[in-house]
Amino acid sequence: MGTVTESLRRMGKLLITLYMGNLKFRIGFTILSILVILGFAVSPFSPTNTRSWYIVPRDRPPSYEYPLGTSSMGRDILWELCASIRNSLTIAFVTAMIASHIGLFLGFIAGIRGGVIDRILMFITDTFIIIPGLPLLMVVTTVLKRYLTIPTLGMLISIVSWPWPSRQVRSMVLSLRERTFIHTAKLSGMGTFRVIVQELMPYVLGWHLINFTNTILFSIGTESGLAILGLSILDDNTLGVMIYWALNWGYALFRGIWWWLAAPVATLVLVFISFYLVSIGMTEFMHPIARR
Amino acid sequence: MEPSLIVEGLKAGYKLQTIGSSEEVGVYVDAVSGVSFTLYRNEVFGIAGESGCGKSTLIKAVYGYYEPSLVLRGGSARIYGAKGEEFDTTRMDRGLLEKRVWWKHMSYIPQSSMNVLNPTMRIRDHFAEILRIHVGMKKGEAYQEARKYLEEVGLPVDALSAFPHQLSGGMRQRVVIALAILLEPSLILADEPSSALDVINQKVALTLLREKQEALKNTLVIVSHDMGVHGVLTHRMAIMYAGKIVEIGRTADIFWKPLHPYTKALIESLPRLGDKSKRVGLSGSPPDLKKPPDGCRFHPRCPYAMLICSRAEPSLREIKEGHYTACWLYSEAVGEPR
Amino acid sequence: MPNREKPSMVKGLKQLLKYIATRTAAYLATIFTGVTLTYIVVKAMPVDAVENILFNIISVTAVYDPASIELLRRNLYEILGMGGSPVESYLIFIRRVFTFDFGPSIIAYPTPASEIVFNRLPWTVGLLLTSTLTVWVTGNLLGVIAGYFRDRRFAKVLESVAITLYPIPYYIMALILIFLFAYLLRIFPLGGGISIIPEKLNLEVILNILWHSILPAASLILPGALGWSFLSSRTLTMQTLAEDYTRYAEARGLPRSHILKRYILRNILLPQTTVLALSLGGIFGGALLTEIVFTYPGVGQIAYRAIFSGDVYTLMAVLFLSIIGTATGTYLLDLLYPLIDPRVRYR
Repeated sequence: MGTVTESLRRMGKLLITLYMGNLKFRIGFTILSILVILGFAVSPFSPTNTRSWYIVPRDRPPSYEYPLGTSSMGRDILWELCASIRNSLTIAFVTAMIASHIGLFLGFIAGIRGGVIDRILMFITDTFIIIPGLPLLMVVTTVLKRYLTIPTLGMLISIVSWPWPSRQVRSMVLSLRERTFIHTAKLSGMGTFRVIVQELMPYVLGWHLINFTNTILFSIGTESGLAILGLSILDDNTLGVMIYWALNWGYALFRGIWWWLAAPVATLVLVFISFYLVSIGMTEFMHPIARR
Repeated sequence: MEPSLIVEGLKAGYKLQTIGSSEEVGVYVDAVSGVSFTLYRNEVFGIAGESGCGKSTLIKAVYGYYEPSLVLRGGSARIYGAKGEEFDTTRMDRGLLEKRVWWKHMSYIPQSSMNVLNPTMRIRDHFAEILRIHVGMKKGEAYQEARKYLEEVGLPVDALSAFPHQLSGGMRQRVVIALAILLEPSLILADEPSSALDVINQKVALTLLREKQEALKNTLVIVSHDMGVHGVLTHRMAIMYAGKIVEIGRTADIFWKPLHPYTKALIESLPRLGDKSKRVGLSGSPPDLKKPPDGCRFHPRCPYAMLICSRAEPSLREIKEGHYTACWLYSEAVGEPR
Repeated sequence: MPNREKPSMVKGLKQLLKYIATRTAAYLATIFTGVTLTYIVVKAMPVDAVENILFNIISVTAVYDPASIELLRRNLYEILGMGGSPVESYLIFIRRVFTFDFGPSIIAYPTPASEIVFNRLPWTVGLLLTSTLTVWVTGNLLGVIAGYFRDRRFAKVLESVAITLYPIPYYIMALILIFLFAYLLRIFPLGGGISIIPEKLNLEVILNILWHSILPAASLILPGALGWSFLSSRTLTMQTLAEDYTRYAEARGLPRSHILKRYILRNILLPQTTVLALSLGGIFGGALLTEIVFTYPGVGQIAYRAIFSGDVYTLMAVLFLSIIGTATGTYLLDLLYPLIDPRVRYR
């Protein structure tokens, strides 16, 4: 228990240092916080069910009553957007939890053990890298259409998201292994496991956090891509699904209902930029050469 | 004797930006604080002192290679070419130095030869580019010249078409030396030229440097913390402490009749054949150059410190012929302190 | 001297051959495993292709006789190689892979799947080759300049633009471009590959194709050239500037233009060719989402339609091409890179 609170405390300290010291992180983190608040703290107060149709007047442009307008499906875009942010972030979080940890685990094992185990693991990783991810996911989501929910979609996306973190962690461990302090630790009689935990983990964990953030980005991107193709959870709200309905059902652009499309596209852009800023903020912090 | 370098009151240091909690604080590190000396043709001059005493900074300032944080605060460094041309490197901008001084009249040998050659360029092209750019030589001719110089430093001709990583550390060091003498400059500045090599290669590289200096009859400056290097190679030398020269003289005089208490401590600490007595090191550590002490910078560690030492700075004075020191012990009577 | 060199030459050659052999084995093995895995997943698609075709044939020819429908069904299963056990159809599939004959397509039955894919390939390759090369050249050039003059104002502006553009997926960029240029400004068409009927290849046809491909290309180029390519070469430039060899070159009095060319560009472009080779290998997979968003007639469109109609063979033809492309890109790079970059040796 003590170690958990300790690492949480260190995490908090790191966040504060980053927030104070890095402008990119500060901007990204601020936008991200607003999005998280909209998605998780504001969206439960939605006056209407964001998944039902024709509950408000259709095709209203942004106004005092409907700040972001209404869609042809008769939904209030502001509230639908909040729910979509929540769901999109949840999917991405599930993916990142699974994929980045698989990557961490496999990359670590491959890097530490080396030899045959490394070769087998990297063979599997390479195989997954050459298979085109999006078409594969398209097929999988068509096959499993009936089982798609917010968490399961996140799980499915992690099938194609783990190879990159895995390769990254492996090369990280490999380069760390060559550094002298690891040799010193080994020569001084520390067991391999203790070397891993005490000497390597602190370095790798920082990169793991970056991989985690990047996987979130990748997952949101993939979900919205699938949604645009009509292969996401079309009866729920996600940012991609909003775009799908606006484009393919509502013909929002042809009919001039631009606000229906603009809201999710602009939000997606904000999500991507904020996560990316957080990610490079952390990278610059870990790797000072990029700072100059 | 013709001078090849006259340095007068040279002041240079590092401006550091430390990021505080909210505001940025500028800190100045007083690395070279009013240094003067004169070098002559056909001599090997050594600069000694512990790390952080400003000897590398002095070399960079003389050379005119200012990294972003290094700033010049005053003084001059005039170098003289083979035909007596005078250049004050402290008053020339980068472009002018590049075009007129660097490598033609003055070259530089860095601390480590490990990573100073372009990994994607063959050895011969390192020679060719200098000859082409500085002398306007044609490529084929330049390759011939490169071959000549490689042979001169004792490298096989194969090395010409090799890439840097294919050579050993010692070989790369020889390439760097060959590059430095390529345009036969009147001044060569070598900054710890062998500290990254093993003992054998170190000796080879240093002997080579000395040989080349004898052949060219130019001035070679060797910066090293290793007194052994100075003892073997240099004719004259300077001892630096905390950004100042505390003693200059013939190397033999410095080794056998050191004047300054700091020099004495340095010499005392050297191992001697047959001497089994315990070495007494200097207590304390060099001052923080962000806020150097008043008076003589050595006084907090000096076993002979007097009242005046903490109040006023001693100037460099000639005590014996050609042997200078900056110490209050020699202010009135010339003689050994007891 | 030559006597001493000989054994090391032989040893080097042996090592090289061993390297090539293991690399080739790994290359073929990843392709085989990749294709097999993909095949298994694709075969699990719930859409029954035979019923699909049958439905089409029946609705066109108005055959209602149950016996002849049953006969037709059995024939179709046989032609498509879909009858028999899963192992049998897998073996048939593998045999077909070797001849690149994936069997008849279903989306345009009975045109062979490979023919459909090859017909669409020029569109995809044309679009992606141009945009990939443009991205690589401009991105690297801008990145090196911005890295070299990192304290100038324009470098900082470029960096901010890149940080904004880079994380945006290209299909979101596509939507933004469509909104701006096709909807608001109405300069470019909303989609399609060509809007006139091409009788023969003349200037008008070419211009029409170009006009249609500008927005799709821009959606790929913008996040790439001002994003990934730019940011990575900028970082590499700053790293190279800090290297001892660059600083020593400066100390040797070499002019800036020379250092930029021989020291910085050369050391950066080598690692960047890696990226180029990999993205060129990825060209054959098509830019699926861009093609859908712009209704561009490329390979990605075909894959999309194939998935929705359960067209296993066409889909496999597309995926196979893509797997081969990516794997070959990596493979060739591994073999050739040590020749280009003297710092890297065959392991």
